Amino acid sequence: MQSNRLLFFGIISIAVVVVAGMFLARSLLVNNDPIILSILYSTEKDAWLNDVSSGFTGSVHGRPIQLEFEKMGSREIYLSVLDGSRQPDVISPASSLQISILHDQSMVEDGTPIVSASGADDCRSVVSTPLVLVAWQERAEALGWLASPDADMWEQLQAAVVNPQGWAAYNHPEWGFFKFGQTDPNKSNSGLMTLLLITYDYFNKTAGLSTADIIADDYSQWFGELGKFTTIGDSTGTFMQEIVAFGPSKYDMVAVYEATAIEQVDNAAGRYGALHIYYPPATVLSDHPFCTLHADWVTSDKVEAAQQFVDYLLTQPVQAKALELGFRPANPTITLDSPNSPFTRYAANGLKIDLPAEVELPSGEVLNTLINFWNRHHR
Amino acid sequence: MNTRSNKFIVITILCLTFMACGSETVGSLMGNKDVVVNLVYGSEKQEWLEPLVAEYNAANNKTADGSTIVIEAKPMGSIEAINAIIGQEIQPVVWSPASSVYLPVAEARWQEKFGHELAAQPPADLVLSPVVIAMWQPMAEALGWPTKPIGWSDISELAVSEDGWAAYGYPEWGKFKFGHTHPDFSNSGLVAILAQAYAGAGKQRGLTPDDLLSPELAQFMEQVESSIIHYGSSTGFFADTMFNRGPSYLSATVMYENLVVAQKSKRLSGASSQIPVVAIYPKEGTFWTNNPYVVLNAPWVSDTQKEAAEAFETFLLARPQQERAIALGFRPADPSIPLGSPLDAQHGVDPSQPQTVLEVPEAAVIEEVQYLWRQAKRPVDVTLVVDTSGSMAGDKITTARTSLVEFINQLSNRDRAQIVLFNNQVSVLSPLTPLADKREELVRRVSGIIEGGDTSLYDATLQAYQQLETEGDPDHIRAVVVLSDGEDTSSVRTWQEILQEIGASGEVEGGNSIKIFTIAFGSGADTTVLQQMAEPTGGKQFTGDPATIDDVYAEIALFF
Repeated sequence: MQSNRLLFFGIISIAVVVVAGMFLARSLLVNNDPIILSILYSTEKDAWLNDVSSGFTGSVHGRPIQLEFEKMGSREIYLSVLDGSRQPDVISPASSLQISILHDQSMVEDGTPIVSASGADDCRSVVSTPLVLVAWQERAEALGWLASPDADMWEQLQAAVVNPQGWAAYNHPEWGFFKFGQTDPNKSNSGLMTLLLITYDYFNKTAGLSTADIIADDYSQWFGELGKFTTIGDSTGTFMQEIVAFGPSKYDMVAVYEATAIEQVDNAAGRYGALHIYYPPATVLSDHPFCTLHADWVTSDKVEAAQQFVDYLLTQPVQAKALELGFRPANPTITLDSPNSPFTRYAANGLKIDLPAEVELPSGEVLNTLINFWNRHHR
Repeated sequence: MNTRSNKFIVITILCLTFMACGSETVGSLMGNKDVVVNLVYGSEKQEWLEPLVAEYNAANNKTADGSTIVIEAKPMGSIEAINAIIGQEIQPVVWSPASSVYLPVAEARWQEKFGHELAAQPPADLVLSPVVIAMWQPMAEALGWPTKPIGWSDISELAVSEDGWAAYGYPEWGKFKFGHTHPDFSNSGLVAILAQAYAGAGKQRGLTPDDLLSPELAQFMEQVESSIIHYGSSTGFFADTMFNRGPSYLSATVMYENLVVAQKSKRLSGASSQIPVVAIYPKEGTFWTNNPYVVLNAPWVSDTQKEAAEAFETFLLARPQQERAIALGFRPADPSIPLGSPLDAQHGVDPSQPQTVLEVPEAAVIEEVQYLWRQAKRPVDVTLVVDTSGSMAGDKITTARTSLVEFINQLSNRDRAQIVLFNNQVSVLSPLTPLADKREELVRRVSGIIEGGDTSLYDATLQAYQQLETEGDPDHIRAVVVLSDGEDTSSVRTWQEILQEIGASGEVEGGNSIKIFTIAFGSGADTTVLQQMAEPTGGKQFTGDPATIDDVYAEIALFF
């Protein structure tokens, strides 16, 4: 009897150990739980990401990758990551300007940057689009801009905006005062890009913009006058819609992304005359970097997952879709001059494949000085 | 089977049944709830919104928690509405004024009161339409339309000119008769006076408080306002008045392009036999109406109401609803929808216009212009004719007294008012003299009115009318406001005599003739007679009772 009882307990014990071992092994060896990759991205990419993200499949160590998206304005992305109110794995603001500011600011606050400098392997650009000026062609021509504006485009623009005679000084009193619009750099990346180009241009530079430059008195006065008569918007997309919907009565010219302009070219046809796209003498790109954060919640599996997703975004069909929407693909195998490319279709609207030289990306500190400078003139 | 397994089966079936119908039961319980979204909106889009509200409600749309969305929409002057909201007389979920022009003022006042922003999210534009000067085509042609650009300054000059249309070779058209709504209540009135201020200052942007201090500007505004036939609370009413009464009544009115298109469509379909009207896009620039949809960030708005309001906004911005707006003469807010008929020359409009806008001034400047206008507006000579017959006893006479006092308080010191009381006798309580000298005394006298006797409605009205003809200043807006609660029982004069008198005067003076506004007070009033008295003069007949009489007097005050 005694030995029977021993045998019984023995068998039970072995069974328990075997079952527990199986569970343990299963959880250690084959974890099928998805890896959730949370991505905070800027609104301009919404249509593209909605189109293409469902085609992505990937896995790390047999665990499927599940994508979680949230969209917001680029400046909000920067602020919410910096103050910790959002803890995404990957961020994709509209441009490396925000990455530069976040890199420097997080270094100041935490002693270590929360993102790599843009261009690093974990901070790659997936598409890009330059800042352009969209104007009613008839009016831009009256300003003397024919095929393309002169090298002193920004000076001409400022002179027209501040001229108390308005369009009367250009033989068109019926057009009233000159109406230029840009977005608020505190809310929208295109506004910061515009401010950066205007500032570089004022100092006849394309690199090495310094804090000392920005706070110079003569610039403050020059920009102050321009700012006083500039219409400020919150969103690049809304601005572009408004120039089309309200026509030249409300805006003669607005600073927006090339891709945003492309989106509305067809809509503008048959409304208020030809809408034309003009390239500033030096450019800056909204380069849409996808950057993996350096944070304790970003595990090595997530880093791997992020890499896979970015690789997917750079594949040929996904990049071709971006081109259809007006972005310039980062994948060099896709050419802009194919017959169906918007760059071919809208060439008559001034769209150009070759871009002027890019200005140098300033440090986060200089960009912050620039935003503070803006706020002094607009608040 | 044993009892234990039976029990198990019963419990399982019950559980499954509950699981299956649980969500539906909860859903139907919740589905019985309504979420009501009150929407106050500018009357210019009534024709578009009213049927859409009915369709949307009929479709029983739901919020996420299963509540049925019920939209209750009411047209109201754009500025009148926000004043009522800030004063918490009304508590809507959505305010959709005609334009964003007054938003900076509303925002400043809202923040002062509630300490946070006015809108729950950036307001979307529903539909667009430029502010235009609607003018009868032959008159516009006399000014050089369509080849010569015409602006606020030309209209102002015409308004100021003693010769009126004679200066353009058309003496038979008489004086230039201009109309805009009351700028403290309606968007089109506000933009009309902002445009006047710009024209007076010779500017198109950067209007400053200093500009408004100039005595020349004040004088200019006063002169332009002298051509106004009367004010009013709603742009829609003004459009109807102009299009129904024709060129002898009003030469031109500040309104919206969509209203010109709507009139042209009526004419083309045979529903109106008036001569054609055209839209003038002022050469110095104009303003746009963009009909922002402002979901209020107010303590009385719940999250479900916000959600429901946003759902209705999405519906209004969808293509089929936008296309219906175009058919009524609006321009779409969505740029993917092309401009097309009826936005064309055949309908009196030019879709390539306007060429430029006037800058929307900052909040403080807007309020300054409103203040300036109150000083410069055309003065009024008003005779208040009040029924004091025996049937007015009780609530009627007490509410009439307080409403009259409020009415008097809305008039300015330059205005002249007299009061005529009638029962079987007609007595003048106060002669036609400026209020500056007698406001307090008049209020005291009105507060002491008592009732008794018969109703000599015809005698009183005719006496008031004739007195105003002889004693009234033709440079003032002249009006008789009659309140009566019963049929005429004791007049010596006849109904025919009244009609004759009104008709003769109207023919000579058109829109500048004496207006009669009538209030049918209570169920015993002779509505037919009161209506026939008011309408030929360009006035209006109202119906009131002790509960609403103060609103009726307040609305009449907006004409002055």
